[in-house]
Amino acid sequence: MTDTLSTSQPHPRSDSDEPLLSVRDLTVTFQRAGDEPFVAVDGVSFDLRPGDTLGIVGESGSGKSVTSLAIMGLLPERGVRVTGEVLYNGQDLLKLSPTQMRDRRGAELGMIFQDPLSSLNPVVPIGLQVTEVLERHRGLSRKAAMPLAKEMLDRVGIPDPDRRLKDYPHQLSGGMRQRALIAMALAAEPRVLIADEPTTALDVTIQAQILAVLKDLVEDTGTALIMITHDLGVVAGLVDTVNVMYAGRVVERAARHPLFAEPRHPYTAGLLASIPRLDGSRGERLQPIPGSVADNLPWTSACAFAPRCSQPIDQCRAQTPELVQHDDRALRCFNPMEVTR
Amino acid sequence: MSEATDVTEGERTAYAKDVLVDAKGVKVHFPIKRGVIFDKVIGHVYAVDGVDLQIRTGETYGLVGESGSGKSTLGRAILNLEPPTEGTVEFDGVDIASLSGETLRKKRQDIQMVFQDPMGSLDPRQSVESLLLEGMKAHGLAKDEAHASKRLRELLSAVGLPSAALKKYPHEFSGGQRQRIGIARALSVNPKLIVADEPVSALDVSVQAQVINLLEDLQEEFGLTYLVVAHDLAVVRHISDRIGVMYLGAIAEEAEADDLYAQPLHPYTRALMSAVPVPDPLVEDRRERIILTGDLPSPANPPKGCRFHTRCPWKQETKCDTERPVLRVPEIPGVGTGHRVACHWTEQIESGEIQPHEVKAQLVEQHGAGGDESLLGPASISEAL
Repeated sequence: MTDTLSTSQPHPRSDSDEPLLSVRDLTVTFQRAGDEPFVAVDGVSFDLRPGDTLGIVGESGSGKSVTSLAIMGLLPERGVRVTGEVLYNGQDLLKLSPTQMRDRRGAELGMIFQDPLSSLNPVVPIGLQVTEVLERHRGLSRKAAMPLAKEMLDRVGIPDPDRRLKDYPHQLSGGMRQRALIAMALAAEPRVLIADEPTTALDVTIQAQILAVLKDLVEDTGTALIMITHDLGVVAGLVDTVNVMYAGRVVERAARHPLFAEPRHPYTAGLLASIPRLDGSRGERLQPIPGSVADNLPWTSACAFAPRCSQPIDQCRAQTPELVQHDDRALRCFNPMEVTR
Repeated sequence: MSEATDVTEGERTAYAKDVLVDAKGVKVHFPIKRGVIFDKVIGHVYAVDGVDLQIRTGETYGLVGESGSGKSTLGRAILNLEPPTEGTVEFDGVDIASLSGETLRKKRQDIQMVFQDPMGSLDPRQSVESLLLEGMKAHGLAKDEAHASKRLRELLSAVGLPSAALKKYPHEFSGGQRQRIGIARALSVNPKLIVADEPVSALDVSVQAQVINLLEDLQEEFGLTYLVVAHDLAVVRHISDRIGVMYLGAIAEEAEADDLYAQPLHPYTRALMSAVPVPDPLVEDRRERIILTGDLPSPANPPKGCRFHTRCPWKQETKCDTERPVLRVPEIPGVGTGHRVACHWTEQIESGEIQPHEVKAQLVEQHGAGGDESLLGPASISEAL
């Protein structure tokens, strides 16, 4: 995947070629008493170097959010089994104790969630919530942290930050809350930022603001970004490498340009053909992917997507496809779309 | 904004025949109340504030806007689910507000609604059969059993569900299938107009297309008229013949779907259009985004003059903050009479005479009404609506 990364912008911290975060064969199984075990994430692997931007795209149930929670160590211990490795600077985060992980979380790995209201403390003013991060992870005193907190709010584009420091989350609009959350996540200067659907709850004009802020901050600070979304449009302009997930597995991975120009996995191609485009021609009929995720086959004996696929072959229902590296991408498919060029 | 000022008398009569919905000067204001024992009205949320809208028979009218724009409230006002504070809505030549009792109930058969959340709008304890029969019975369309069961099978096949679905309950279906049930229920009483409020926004992208195509097929098959209310401009552009762009309770621009995309004229439409992400890196890398600063002002305390002037990169010293622009056909060569814009400076902006400038974000108070700062209102105005 690394050879396909764009090198268009300078990354202040990309002094080594060693991956910063290396996810190996990450598998998350939910097991509740009396229920069949459910594999939500199934053997996901990827590398993230300093300054990389990586997109994980999928629909509900694809396992994209569970992947991020597993990396951050935020899944409950009961009823969940996480296997594989999450190597951060060579150390496996999955083997750390909860206390050790707490020191890493926030400081080295930051996260932004979809719903900022439920990630902010409703009874603590915004300013205090940002300074808390600075006190906890950068060892500053509250007095020293306050001006820095103001600067953070200013950087993410919150107008009149002096006043906003004293505001409570409910006094801010959705867009402003998300900015405050980004300010908090970046206050500790994490080296990896995971953004899980950060703009899904926002209006498009606000989404454009937030994406611009994220893009600038990632470029300025050299923080590596993992962007998790269902919206192919959001990743098209933002990330270098896109992972498309279906039913817990990565089915296609490529740099954004080849991926969008020529999707090879029938699922990726199907997704692109099924969304109305603002710049598309209007009379054209959309090509939906038939069926729903309820039709999936188990990965253990087949390709999960086969029942909804536009061009399945016999093998698809009898054998598990592996993620195989082709020239410009990795593909999990026995019968990929033809190369047209 | 009382009468559609720029439609000439001749045009009005030419349309008159095929106009199904004619809304004139519609306003919906919600009172904001305070008080423990006595409710005192201390202000209003101006959710819809003066809208003229015509929907012609057989067309799809798309109403697009962001949260707080009043698009859903307008949709509900057209159904008279939210009686307008001011203005009239004529359906098929009859003022709906003037009807009551049995005549209103009969009229409602012609107008049906499809909601965003199919799980929330279908009774979980009713089987699909009983859900579909309910409306038919209420309107006397299920006289004998044989006829009703034939009709049910027709409905299900029209929306692409197997007839085995009849005995099942809503929770046994996927989101897309539930939306199909919602559509079948709307169809069951042979409506003329279907108001669809965010019909696909709760669905996964791969399933969205199925429902969009279904809506298009049904329109062709049954000659339906649609009012589609949605925030997703790409979806609205795909299914609509004409589009109205709403901002803070008023229509900022109205045009044929293709014209709106080819030549957006209102500054808000331009910004909205440029903010919609396109799943194509080549397009995304080249695009120039108009990034609006700040948030939508509170509909409880809308800006004076042009509603958009607080965020408009083309705002001028005069007129914008004092005079409310009316929806009018601009004097721009090549722009047809169907394209209306509520902006004082459309011509000058289009010709390049007025250039965009930097806008400083203004603080938007999330609480309070009518400038009363001491008061703790709803956390956000979208919650109040």
